[in-house]
Amino acid sequence: MEAHTAAGKLQGLDGDAPWYEAAFVVGVTNALNVAADGLAAALPALTDAEAGGEATAVFADVRAFYGGGEVPTPFRVIARDPAYLADVFGAVKRAFADRRLTRRHKEALAFAVSLTTRSPFGLHFHLGELRRLGVSERGVMEVVGVAQMFSSYTKIADTLQLESDMAHIAPTDMSGVPEADGE
Amino acid sequence: MPTVRLRDASEYPEPARRLFELSKAWFDYDFKAPPAMSRVMAWDPHFGGPHGRAMKRAMAAGEFTRAEKEMVAAVVSGANACTY
Repeated sequence: MEAHTAAGKLQGLDGDAPWYEAAFVVGVTNALNVAADGLAAALPALTDAEAGGEATAVFADVRAFYGGGEVPTPFRVIARDPAYLADVFGAVKRAFADRRLTRRHKEALAFAVSLTTRSPFGLHFHLGELRRLGVSERGVMEVVGVAQMFSSYTKIADTLQLESDMAHIAPTDMSGVPEADGE
Repeated sequence: MPTVRLRDASEYPEPARRLFELSKAWFDYDFKAPPAMSRVMAWDPHFGGPHGRAMKRAMAAGEFTRAEKEMVAAVVSGANACTY
């Protein structure tokens, strides 16, 4: 991981800000996948009627964020607690917003993480989002190729217990914590 | 600690040492010693060659930039709990 963070910084994704954004995308992607893949069998997705008014108001924001389609399963699963749903969606919306990284790139990260962690929900959902955002089959295969090749390198490194020897090659970002910006 | 002895660059035959020069260009960094993974892959050029070419094809700029793909590689490595 350190090698690619350093390499990415050398290739132009310099500074820490984009890497914080990437980490937040990975985190919430995994959180949604856990709810959809691990929880939905025991706690089924709620319909709008079952979820109630407070949750359906959040569902409207969720639909808008994802281009007007169906509310993704993990949001319907956690709608049993509408306040919790609202906070989780707030974090997801912030994490996937166009900022230093584009939403399209963030969806590529989420797709790669879902593929690597073998999440059926995440794989289909983020593949759909990549396509909705204009990524072609060739672009999808670019992400698949990177995920596949580095699933190989990582296991070779782990098997031989290689120690990171590349973290130092990118400069350290000594800037401070940024002011919180608006949406 | 690695479970194998990582050979010094000077222990590799000349064709492998030339591959180490390519690593510098790939990372745009003048390594004092080739990275551990480069030395591992140079152990068997008949494996490391096609594996490395497949990686470079995957990482080449297309719909996503090389930098964006390095970040994809980083999150894949993180998901695989690999610190290297």
